This record gives sequence, C-alpha cells and structure tokens, in this order.
Amino acid sequence: MSPTEEELLLQLSQPKSRSGAFSIVVRTYQERLYWHIRKMVLSHEDANDVLQNTFMKAWNGIDGFRGDSQFSTWLYRIATNETLTFLTSKRMRTQNSIDDVDETLLQNLQADTYFNGNELQMKLQKAILTLPEKQRLVFNMKYFDDITYEEMEAILGTSVGALKASYHYAVKKIEKLFSEEE
Amino acid sequence: MTNRENILLEKVGKELPFGVPENYFNQFALQIEDQIGHKHVVGRNVFKSWMFMAAMFVGVVVMGQLFYASHQRTLARNADNYETYVLSQVDETSLVDYYVDESNK
Repeated sequence: MSPTEEELLLQLSQPKSRSGAFSIVVRTYQERLYWHIRKMVLSHEDANDVLQNTFMKAWNGIDGFRGDSQFSTWLYRIATNETLTFLTSKRMRTQNSIDDVDETLLQNLQADTYFNGNELQMKLQKAILTLPEKQRLVFNMKYFDDITYEEMEAILGTSVGALKASYHYAVKKIEKLFSEEE
Repeated sequence: MTNRENILLEKVGKELPFGVPENYFNQFALQIEDQIGHKHVVGRNVFKSWMFMAAMFVGVVVMGQLFYASHQRTLARNADNYETYVLSQVDETSLVDYYVDESNK
C-alpha cells in the first residue's frame, strides 16, 4: 500500500527514512513531470536532463518545502522553472533569437527517434511552438493534462483570470493556423 | 469547453506524439536512487523477507510434526492389522492350545 502525502512528508523530514521516501517520490511523480517537461523541450534527451535536474533540486531542497502548497505542486513548480531555465540557456548558448530556438526545437522534433506522431500532430506541435513560452506552458497544461486553472495558478504564480485569457488566445491562434492551412 | 477547443480536439485529439526508450522510467528511477545513495529493494522489503523465511521455517516444522504423527499412527494401524491378520490364519483350537501351553510354562 503506497503512503499518503502526509506520511511521505514525515518520512522525508527524517534523515533515516529520507532516501527511501524520496525513491517513492521519484517513482510516483517521474512520468507526470517528464511529460510536462517533454511537451516544452520536445526532445527526449533534453527532457531526461531537465527531469534529472528537477529531482536533484527537489532532493537538495527538501528541507525548504514549507508545506504551504501540495507537494506535487512544489515539484511541478521546480520542473517548470528548470524547463524555462533550460530553454533560456539554450537560447543564450547559441545566441539565437527566440524564433531561431523554436526553429531548432522543431527540427529536433522532426529528426527525433522518439517522435511517433502523424501529420496532424506534427502540425499541432508546430503551431504550439509559435506561442510565447509561458503561453505554451498554459496551453499544454490545459489542453493535454486538463490541469485546473486553480492548480495552474499555484504552479505558475499567475492569476486564474490571466491564465484563462492566455489559454483562450492560445487556442484561437492555433485554431486559426489550422484553418489557414486547409 | 470552447467551440474552438472542440474543433481542435476533433481534428487532432489529445494524444502526445512522443515516445520513450523501453524501460526508461525504471532506469531513470534507479539512476536517481543511485545518486541519492538509496538501495532499491525489488518487491518486498528486507523485514518482510525475514518474516517470510520465519513463516516458512515454522511451516516446515509443523508439517514435519504432522507427518511424523501421521506416520506413527499408520505404523500402529499396520501393526494392529498384522496381528489381526495373523490371528485370522490360526484356528481357535490351536490358539487355545497355544495359550494353555504358555500358561503351563
């Protein structure tokens, strides 16, 4: 029987049981966090790197978790920040514009061994890449994961109203791109 | 859900077009556990293993006792059966003669 979040937090707070409890954390949340990251960075290798960074940051910062949000929310926040940091540093490394980085991401996606989508799905990913990063995040979280606006607010620190507006415009833009190409 | 979102869902759906290498998540978890210095015990934990072994030992002892007791009863039954068999092969007159001779010794 898997422990509750309360039991897990108790075990995480004690040095003797910390690593065992964190192992459960990894196995419980790794898939959700992986896909959250992967939808943004697109490549499996990059998603793997960011996911590792996420969990190591969580491990090193366990004592800093104050319990003012759900533990899963805290993990999502770390994953989101690590993803945005990764994309920023990628841009700075190549000293390219945002458009160039997105073009690179798209090229990586098309060449990726682990991309197994059809033409329409590729079209959707291309359309999503035209969105600003934060809007892309909102779109992915709402469209693919069905995360509520209240949960998104806790993760992203943006108001529900702003998130709703962001999603509304994202869908409008993507749907328009689809219609134009028909 | 908005109309536009419905159109998108109808056209493309929600399935992600990405895959992962085989056994990726298990390997990833093992990697992280290695980095944090945790030894992952597959399946039951160590305490449960000891309990299982203890239960097995008790089971073997109990089964042994039961088997031994049953075997002893079988032996006794066989002995009774044999005596009954032997007596059935001897007629009454010979039997009486035997007991009389024995008592005269």
